[in-house]
Amino acid sequence: MSAPTKRIVKELTEITQNPPAGCKVRLPDESNIYNWEILMDGPADSVYAGGHFKIALTLPHDYPFKPPSINFRTKIYHPNITNDDKGAMCLGMLRPDQWKPPNKLMAVIVLIQNLLSKPEPDDAVEQGIADAMKNRRAEFEKTAREWTGRYAGR
Amino acid sequence: MDYNQSDELAQLQKLSNEYSPEAEGPLVSERISSSAITTEYANGDPVYQIKTAALPQKYSFYRTCRGDGHCGWRAVAFSYFEALQKTGSKQKFFEEETRLRSLANLFLALGHPEHVYEDFAEETYSLLRTIANTNDDGETLLATFNDYGTSMSIITHIKLLTSAWIQTHPEQFAPYVVPQTIQEYCQRSIEAANCEIENVGLSALADVLVKPAGFAVEVLYLDRSPGEEVNTYRFDLTDQHGTVLPASHTLRLLYRPGHYDILYRPEDIPQPIEQPPVFVNLTSTMSEHRPDFHGMAGRDDNLAIPGMSFAFPHQTNWAFNPLYDLPSAPVPTVSQAVPVPAYVPLPVPHQELLPPQSIPMEQPISPPVSQPQPSSIGRNGPFRPCTYEFEINHSSVSLPVFQTSQFKNSHFNVAHYNNPDFQPEAWNPNEEYKHTERSRRNRSQ
Repeated sequence: MSAPTKRIVKELTEITQNPPAGCKVRLPDESNIYNWEILMDGPADSVYAGGHFKIALTLPHDYPFKPPSINFRTKIYHPNITNDDKGAMCLGMLRPDQWKPPNKLMAVIVLIQNLLSKPEPDDAVEQGIADAMKNRRAEFEKTAREWTGRYAGR
Repeated sequence: MDYNQSDELAQLQKLSNEYSPEAEGPLVSERISSSAITTEYANGDPVYQIKTAALPQKYSFYRTCRGDGHCGWRAVAFSYFEALQKTGSKQKFFEEETRLRSLANLFLALGHPEHVYEDFAEETYSLLRTIANTNDDGETLLATFNDYGTSMSIITHIKLLTSAWIQTHPEQFAPYVVPQTIQEYCQRSIEAANCEIENVGLSALADVLVKPAGFAVEVLYLDRSPGEEVNTYRFDLTDQHGTVLPASHTLRLLYRPGHYDILYRPEDIPQPIEQPPVFVNLTSTMSEHRPDFHGMAGRDDNLAIPGMSFAFPHQTNWAFNPLYDLPSAPVPTVSQAVPVPAYVPLPVPHQELLPPQSIPMEQPISPPVSQPQPSSIGRNGPFRPCTYEFEINHSSVSLPVFQTSQFKNSHFNVAHYNNPDFQPEAWNPNEEYKHTERSRRNRSQ
């Protein structure tokens, strides 16, 4: 087994045995360890509470020397996640110029959770949602909860 | 409107800044003749032309590293392993593994848990052990460094070591990274997956990896600055008083803005100890069967004359080359994958070791004019490596001198101003080769 594969298997084992609270990780295709699926509960203290979000975590073939990519398969109203069919999230340690090979996927999952609890409108990919969050907070929260109920229910 | 436009421009500018063409080529290439560098710049900026023209005389070979943003790290890491292999001592590898393992103290001091680095470090240790138990000409090392996962693991390990070294020696490096703090610098410019080595990093890497192993680092800066030769910067071993100590080996890097390659001086290249004896025999046979050989293909004892080395770069050994790559010729020590020629002339007494019957007599031993021109035998550059071998071993070899210095200094030599075809020795790697060989050969018959 090559070194990168060994590392991925090791990380997967750690995470499935001891997943972060409110998260489940599985492989949609057992033979492909590069595509992970994360089921994440919306953090209780956030506007996404009660939602269950399906997230695809894709590892590049040169992982861990390139960052994983994160795509929300469940539609979400969030300034840092693209509001399109990709649902891409790319900030902080996930940026190619900030990624460090020693970073662990556990830290990536925790980053996603933190970002659901505290979106970062100053580093937004959806400028409209960021403006709403900064300037029309009540409207932002209402829409976010609505979307959570509509798209991220059980 | 204006706002939108500038926004768009900024976006385009950003895209343009981030654009980098897909890097190509092997992660670390075979060793090739550095005259290829000269050729590369032959039509370029005059400053580069001048500087690169002087390069191959001192640095005969080089290896390219893929310009994927890690080439500097990769060049140092590869050269470090190569230098260790050249020491030829298993003990040395063991010492290095022990030393690198003990550097875990640096990580400990920074509070890095073991899992941060262990996977990457393990690849380094494993390669040290592999190379220690390998007896080849560097093929294993080259293959390992061309395995993306392994070489990136090793690079990540040495980057982490470098970062830890900088952070544990803040007084030494802090002045060079302002306005950033040491930590910020290491995060952004050392540890990040996609960042090329800078001078601070190189200096720290030399301190933590290279110098303690007894090696020095030499960087040749090939840039547009005025001058006729590339600027050289050395990271030498020093004692506590700053006195330079002798290094058992020097890692040489060629820096061109944004890119690093590996350079070699002729003396850096290991010579196979075991000689393929068939060549010896051919040497004597050649001279017997071809009286005209004496007249023209002189051993370049005249290389000692400044400038004369380029007068006859090819004639020294043209006769051996057609036989060099013969599949029937036993070439036990050197794989064809490595462009280091196995041929090194032996002292005369060894010739009687082989009976003449073993010569492949069916080999076409034809008059030299019809001799097929071995253009390039899978190597780059107009110089066949064996030309260099002659130069390298020039002092230690005592082959018969086929050519008198009288001829070279006479007007029969085109380099002589009295020669009707007088040609000053402006060295051109592309043309001189065929041209002068032909013209001289015709004349001497």
